Amino acid sequence: MGLIDGKLPENVLTTTVDNVINYCRKSSLWPMTFGLACCAIEMMACGAAKYDFDRMGIIFRATPRQSDVMIVAGTVTRKMAPVVRKVYLQMPEPKCVIAMGSCATSGGIYDTYSTVQGVDEIVPVDFYVPGCPPRPEALYDAIVALQSKIMTEKVLRK
Amino acid sequence: MGRTENVSEVVTVNMGPQHPSTHGVLRLVVDLDGETIVNVDPDVGFLHRGTEKLAENRTYHQTIPLTDRLDYLSPLSNNLAYCLAVEKFFDLEIPERAEYLRVILAEMSRVASHLVWIATHALDIGAMTVFLYAFREREEILDMFEVATGQRMTSSWIRIGGLRDDMPEDFFVRLADFVSRFDKCVDEYENLLTKNRIWMGRTIGIGHLSAEDTMVYGTSGPLMRGSGVDFDLRRDESYGIYDRFEWEIPVEEAGDTYARYKVRMKEMRESNKILQQALEQIPAEGSVMTDDPRVALPSHEDVYERMEALIRRFYIVSKGFKPPKGETYQGIEAPKGELGFYLVSEGEERPYRMKIRSPSFVNLGVVNKMAKGHMLADIVAIIGTNDVVLGEIDR
Amino acid sequence: MITFEQLTAKLDAQFPDKLNSYSEYKCNFIKVKDTSVYMEVMTALKEEFSFMYMVDVVATHWPKRRDKFEVTTNLFSIANKLRVFVKLADEDNKFPTLTDLWPGANLLEREQYDLVGVIFEGHPDLRRVLLPEFFDGHPLRKDFPLKERTWFNNADEQGIGLKFSR
Repeated sequence: MGLIDGKLPENVLTTTVDNVINYCRKSSLWPMTFGLACCAIEMMACGAAKYDFDRMGIIFRATPRQSDVMIVAGTVTRKMAPVVRKVYLQMPEPKCVIAMGSCATSGGIYDTYSTVQGVDEIVPVDFYVPGCPPRPEALYDAIVALQSKIMTEKVLRK
Repeated sequence: MGRTENVSEVVTVNMGPQHPSTHGVLRLVVDLDGETIVNVDPDVGFLHRGTEKLAENRTYHQTIPLTDRLDYLSPLSNNLAYCLAVEKFFDLEIPERAEYLRVILAEMSRVASHLVWIATHALDIGAMTVFLYAFREREEILDMFEVATGQRMTSSWIRIGGLRDDMPEDFFVRLADFVSRFDKCVDEYENLLTKNRIWMGRTIGIGHLSAEDTMVYGTSGPLMRGSGVDFDLRRDESYGIYDRFEWEIPVEEAGDTYARYKVRMKEMRESNKILQQALEQIPAEGSVMTDDPRVALPSHEDVYERMEALIRRFYIVSKGFKPPKGETYQGIEAPKGELGFYLVSEGEERPYRMKIRSPSFVNLGVVNKMAKGHMLADIVAIIGTNDVVLGEIDR
Repeated sequence: MITFEQLTAKLDAQFPDKLNSYSEYKCNFIKVKDTSVYMEVMTALKEEFSFMYMVDVVATHWPKRRDKFEVTTNLFSIANKLRVFVKLADEDNKFPTLTDLWPGANLLEREQYDLVGVIFEGHPDLRRVLLPEFFDGHPLRKDFPLKERTWFNNADEQGIGLKFSR
C-alpha cells in the first residue's frame, strides 16, 4: 500500500477483482423456489415479513435460468429425482445447492422404497441444514455460511 | 397466410412439477384449444414417500410423527385424526382438559392452514400484499405452537390417549390476545379482496361445481360447502367435544371459486369463535393424558418406585401396545376436507394396513371437471381454490 | 333418517343371505358374500338410500387367507348422517369398478391399483398414479419389502445419466 499511498485522488478505494465480484455475488443470491414438501412452508415463511430474506438481497425466483442457488426443501423421491437434476443443470454457473431438512440431507425418516436417500446422490450439495423442518433461522445460517464461502472463492484463477 | 378458415388444433402443455403456483410438486398435463382448456390430467406422486407402508412397519406410537408430515400446513389436525382412530380400538376416555386442548390445537391449525391458503391463492392470482398480511398472523400462531410444543410445525403433540404434556400459562395468555384481535385481521384480508374488482373477475364463475358433483366426486370440506351442501363432520359425525360449542357452518350456494373463498374466510371467523369458547370453558386444572394402562406410559415417579410400572413403560416404549383385532375408521373435518384414517389391526403391535383418506387427493380428482372450458390462466385459480397439499396427496 | 339396523333390515329383505352386516368399534360394515350382487347392492345404496358421498376405496392384501384381496368402500349418506363400509373379498385381484356410480372412485381405484395391485374391471383409465410407469410390483402387498430400492436404476427416463447407490 505504501507505493500508491497519496497518489490516488480522494474517494478511490483499492481492492481486488475477486473481492468486488464476490461481494456482488454474495449480496444478491437469488434462490430458486424449489419447494418439495414441509420445508417449503418454512422457506415461504423466510420470504415473508417476519424473517424477511429480502434484506439479505435474497429474492426467490421461479425459474432456474435466473437463480444462483437452489434450496432443495423437502423429500426427493425417485419420481422427482430426474426433475431435480434437470433443474440443476438448467441453472447458470456459478451455482450452489443447499439441502434443507433431514429428508433432502439423508432421506430422514423416510427410509422406504420410493425415497432417494439424500439429494447428494443427484446434485452436488454445498450446505446441509438439519431439522425436520429446519427453523427459518437455520436456513438463514446456511445462507450466511454460503455468503462467507463465496467470499473465499477465486474468480480469475480456479 | 394461406389459412382461410379457423382450424381447431389441440395443443398439449406441461405444467409442473416445478412450477411456482402448483403448491408443491404437482404436474398437470393440459390439453388446450387455443387458450381454452379441453382436458386436464393431474400427474401426482412426485412426493410419494410410502407413508402407508412405513406405518405398517412401525408401532402405533411411532406413526404419529409420520402423520405430521402429510398435510404439513396443519400437522396437529392429522395427529388428531390418527389418534382418534387408534383410540376407537380401546374406547378410551380422554380427560376433559385434553379434549379442550385438542380442540384448541385443531382449530388453530385450521386457521394457520387457511392463512397459507389465502396467502398463496391470492399470490397466484397476483395480490402480493395478502401474502405478507396472512403470514404475519401465521407466524403468531406458529410462535404459540412453539411455546406450547417446542416445534413450529411438526410437533406430534397429540398422542394416543391425550396430549404429550400440558401447555404453559404463557400459551393461554398469548392465545387470548390473538383471539381478541384475529377478527380484525380477517377484516383486513377481506378489505383487500372481497370487493376487489380484479379478485372478483378472476374468481366469480370460475371452476363451478354443482352440489351433486361434489358428493359423487367425493370432494369434501370447503369445496362441498361452497356448492351448497350443508355438511361438516364436526357436527354431523361429532367427535371430541365439538357438540359443546356454538358456531355456524358457512354454506354458499354459488359453487364457484369466489363462493369457496367466502366459505373459508367465514370458517376462520367461526374457528375463532370456537377458540374463544374453548378458552372460556377449559377446566383450569387436570390431567392431559388418560391413565388407561393399555396405552398410557406410567409416570416417571411411578417408574422409579414400582417394578410393574417400569416393566410396563419399557414394554410400551420398546414394543408398543396391542389393540384388539378388527377394523376401524375415523374421519375428521380437517382444513382441507374429510381426513380419515382406516386402520386394520390383526392384534399386533403394528397396524396390518393403514389407509389415509386424504382430502386433497380426492379433491384433485375434480380438477378436470372444474377447469374444462376455462382459460389456461384460470387453472391457477382452480388449483388455488382446491387448496391442495402435495404431502397429503402423495403420502 | 334411517339407522344402520333399519338399513340392513331393508337390504337383507332385498338380497336374502347375500349380506353379512355387523358393527365393530363404532363402524358399520356390510360384507357382500356374493360377487354377483355387489353392483346391485351398490346401486341400491346410492339410488335408494342416498349414499351419494363417495369417501374412500381401500384394498387390502391378505396372503394367508383364501380370499387374498379385499376391497372396502367407504360411503356416507349426508341425508341420513350414516356411514357404511361395504366389503367384498375375492380370491384373485379382479373387482368390478364403481366409477359409473361415483366418478370420484376413478382416482381412488387407480391409487389402489397402483399400490395394492387390484384390477378394477371396467375402469376407464386404469394407470399408475403415484409411482412411475417403469415401477415393477405393488408396494402395499405384504411380500413387497419396505426398503426395496433396486428399481431406482431400472430406467433413466430423462436421459441425464442418474445413478443411485444408496
